[in-house]
Amino acid sequence: MSLDFLAGFTIFMLALIMVVSMVPGLLAGLESSGIDYDAVAYRTGVILVEDPGWPVYPPWEMNDEVHKDEIERIGLAVSKDTPNILLSTKVETFFNDSFFTPDDYRNLAIFGDIPYSYHFSLRSLDGVTYNEETGDPLPPGYGYIRRVVKIKEPGVAVINGTTFAPQYTSLSSNQEFIVRLDFGQLLDPSVGAAYRIDPRTEPVNVTITNFGAYLNMTEPSTNATLRTVTFWKKDPTRPIPQFTRIPFAYGTTDSSLYTLTIDGNPYDLTPDTKVFDNDNISLVLKPAATSLFTLDQNSILDIRFNFGDTPSQTNITGIHHYDYNSTNVTLPDLQTGVLEVAVW
Amino acid sequence: MVNDAGQLYTMEGVAAGVIMLLTVYIVISTTSIYTPGDTHIPDMQLEQLGSDVLAMMDTPDTNGTKSALETFVNADDDAGFESMFLSYCNAKASGAADDLHMSANVTYRDGNLIKEHQFLAPDNTWTGRESAVRVTRWVQLDSQPGRTTYAGARAQAVLVEVLLWRA
Amino acid sequence: MACMNEDGQWIVLMGLLAALGLFFLALIINQSALVGQTTAEGVLEFPKNDIRDLRSEIFDYYDDYGPLQTLGYLDDVEEDIVRISLERKNAVVYFWDGPPQDVSGRLLRPVTIHYYNGVTEYDETVYY
Repeated sequence: MSLDFLAGFTIFMLALIMVVSMVPGLLAGLESSGIDYDAVAYRTGVILVEDPGWPVYPPWEMNDEVHKDEIERIGLAVSKDTPNILLSTKVETFFNDSFFTPDDYRNLAIFGDIPYSYHFSLRSLDGVTYNEETGDPLPPGYGYIRRVVKIKEPGVAVINGTTFAPQYTSLSSNQEFIVRLDFGQLLDPSVGAAYRIDPRTEPVNVTITNFGAYLNMTEPSTNATLRTVTFWKKDPTRPIPQFTRIPFAYGTTDSSLYTLTIDGNPYDLTPDTKVFDNDNISLVLKPAATSLFTLDQNSILDIRFNFGDTPSQTNITGIHHYDYNSTNVTLPDLQTGVLEVAVW
Repeated sequence: MVNDAGQLYTMEGVAAGVIMLLTVYIVISTTSIYTPGDTHIPDMQLEQLGSDVLAMMDTPDTNGTKSALETFVNADDDAGFESMFLSYCNAKASGAADDLHMSANVTYRDGNLIKEHQFLAPDNTWTGRESAVRVTRWVQLDSQPGRTTYAGARAQAVLVEVLLWRA
Repeated sequence: MACMNEDGQWIVLMGLLAALGLFFLALIINQSALVGQTTAEGVLEFPKNDIRDLRSEIFDYYDDYGPLQTLGYLDDVEEDIVRISLERKNAVVYFWDGPPQDVSGRLLRPVTIHYYNGVTEYDETVYY
């Protein structure tokens, strides 16, 4: 009796152990979780690469730390009609992991029911211009997608004295130099979103180099004093259109709104400082500042550089148009890169 | 001397074991029908990547210029096309480059016939057994007097088809 | 046999229970595998990239409308798109445009695109 029971029970236990040991193999063969990870990675890739995010205007990347909860969805595309073409300002904000917390990435880009771990990386083909990543190191068995993208970078107006001085100097100079942005022309829909100069989403970059060529040659001067940089706007749809000075905290340095450097040193917009003949004046006007100016798609924005010396030390004058003319503004080529999304 | 009741526990143990093993066998044999689900995923990833590469090659880097893809197809430049395509689709954000291989055809219409022009022959990793994916892209060629490839000099729309596989 | 003792039946019952448990486990696993399968197949089957590519080609066609019209190649290129789509993509494609209209200050053509590949049908009228 006891021998019989022992034999029967042993056979049962042996079979049970065999079956139990087969179960994990059954699960591993299916890898159902891996399938889910790939689907989540695919979806996240689509959200990032094919969508501009929400809100679109003002764009989500302009929200600062205080207004971060107004961001509803992160997308890096220039517009919804240009899949795979990413905007450099969105890319920079996205990979700024002191701005976004891991939970932000999960809630605004991955949209999973469970807190997935993630790793995002973007690298341009040259490996130098863009080489960004965020997230945890990759474990084995993650869901993955790779997307090939192009990255749009903002244009730069380099106003080099050696080429532009004949055009922008005059003996009867009022010592004022204007860079003019005509939004009606810049935002014209005939230029595709991938090649548009849009100061509402991208920084405006004005650099005056070789300043010596603009100096007063009859006086002979070695420097001129840059008194102020001011912003003026005109709305042509108004009854009597005229330029008005935009109220702005000109005396406060705020690198989230603008940066002004003279010979590499930062200044506010009332520098009152001497510019020598080998110095560069560089102004970057960020979209956050442009949004404060309440401009619409017909407005004209002037950036006015005022020099003031008696007697006049510089002959600089005239209006430089910030437009699609490639001698006025250099638009960089789109950069090819790869965006990888890994989720587990 | 031998009593039937003496083997009862053994028989029941065998019966229980057989039941469990049969269940496992049935379960494994049925689920293996569903497992091909995960072979779709590499296909999906490869197809998306290939479509991205063709779309990006068809995007000019500066406004108003011709895209690289259009230039390669128009000039029948298979070497340039191959090197650009492979550099785009093998690039990774970190680690060693991927190892994808390709061949390409251009389909065009000549009168009433749809013809194929072998743009880029497959390399020696192609055996015919790879699970390759096919991605396509339309290219519009301007009229160009003296062109002898495709449907001749007229303006035309041709379809570039790329076969992509992992060796 | 008639007066068999039935004390051992619980072993068979245990085996049956284990088998049932396995069965349910397998059912659940099957379901999750199906989810992944349908996602990947959905992506493969819905011709998102094909439709996007077709749209961009049709927009290229209308970008080039003037020169194509002057040289008399409008019908040729349209026939290229329709015939090659049918032959190589197994898709019925046709598109046409209406007279240009004023849309918020710009003169745009309503372009109607039809695409059907036997599974997915796509129709769109876009001002271009």
